[in-house]
Amino acid sequence: MRAWLYLLAAAVAGAIITTPAIIVLILMGGSFDDALLAGLATLMLASGIAVVTMRDIIRCGLAMIVCFLSLAGIYVQLGAPMVAAAQVIVYIGAISVLILFAIMLTQDKAAPARLVFQTQAAPAAIASIIVAVLVAIAAYGTNWGAVTAQIEATTKTIAFFVFGGGPSSQYVLVFEAVSVLLLAAVIGGVFLAKKERPD
Amino acid sequence: MGISEQLNTYLTLSGLLFAIGSFGFLARRNAISMLMSIELMLNAVNLAIVAFGAFIPALNGDGAVIALMVIAVAAAEATVGLAIVIAIFRNRKTPLVDEYDAMRR
Repeated sequence: MRAWLYLLAAAVAGAIITTPAIIVLILMGGSFDDALLAGLATLMLASGIAVVTMRDIIRCGLAMIVCFLSLAGIYVQLGAPMVAAAQVIVYIGAISVLILFAIMLTQDKAAPARLVFQTQAAPAAIASIIVAVLVAIAAYGTNWGAVTAQIEATTKTIAFFVFGGGPSSQYVLVFEAVSVLLLAAVIGGVFLAKKERPD
Repeated sequence: MGISEQLNTYLTLSGLLFAIGSFGFLARRNAISMLMSIELMLNAVNLAIVAFGAFIPALNGDGAVIALMVIAVAAAEATVGLAIVIAIFRNRKTPLVDEYDAMRR
């Protein structure tokens, strides 16, 4: 009986996720790429909202994995398979597992029954909606074709300072910085989370 | 032009995900929920970076490298942040941030 309920809920959720894709494909006359993007975007935003609103924090962590996975799909669509692979390995494989372990280490039994949100939740919701609207207005109000040269020059400057000049030394500084950073983070994590010596 | 061929679509998507993450960071009481919201915001920024790298051909791959670096920094941030949360939890026996009031008393 319960299994049927779960299957029904999964079917309803799948229908909700695929509805925008079907709308884009049939009603708006988009291509299959558009439909795929609409489906992935709906899945990403729905699971993102689930991450910040659900009561049970373990379920929040699992919804976060779904969010990262759909984002990896969007990266593949954008033609960045390397970033998508790093997303799957680092975020889903490492960070999500780390967060789930931390949840299990810090959970107490009364936690889901207590209040999930702070008292400033309503102003926070208003502020974040304003942020989303402003970003959308800025994205659609800017003529990106006209400022392409500007973006390119800025990014080249940043890339020169971060990655170094010349094709041979390209990305060397990034590699070194990231390795030192990860070493420091691992040592710091072990130091902070190790058991206190009873003295 | 379809929605998957415009930069605006991806930037708007990134802004929406960033807004969701900022709401979670401001509104949740649990410290680990706040860290998860930070991860959502970092992912939103990454989406914007990859979108710019994909739509401006002269960047030839620099966008993806910057995104990879952001992913590495996010991994380090998650490690240290969760270690701090676990260390505080061991002392205060609660993961709720509004009960961390040692500096306000």
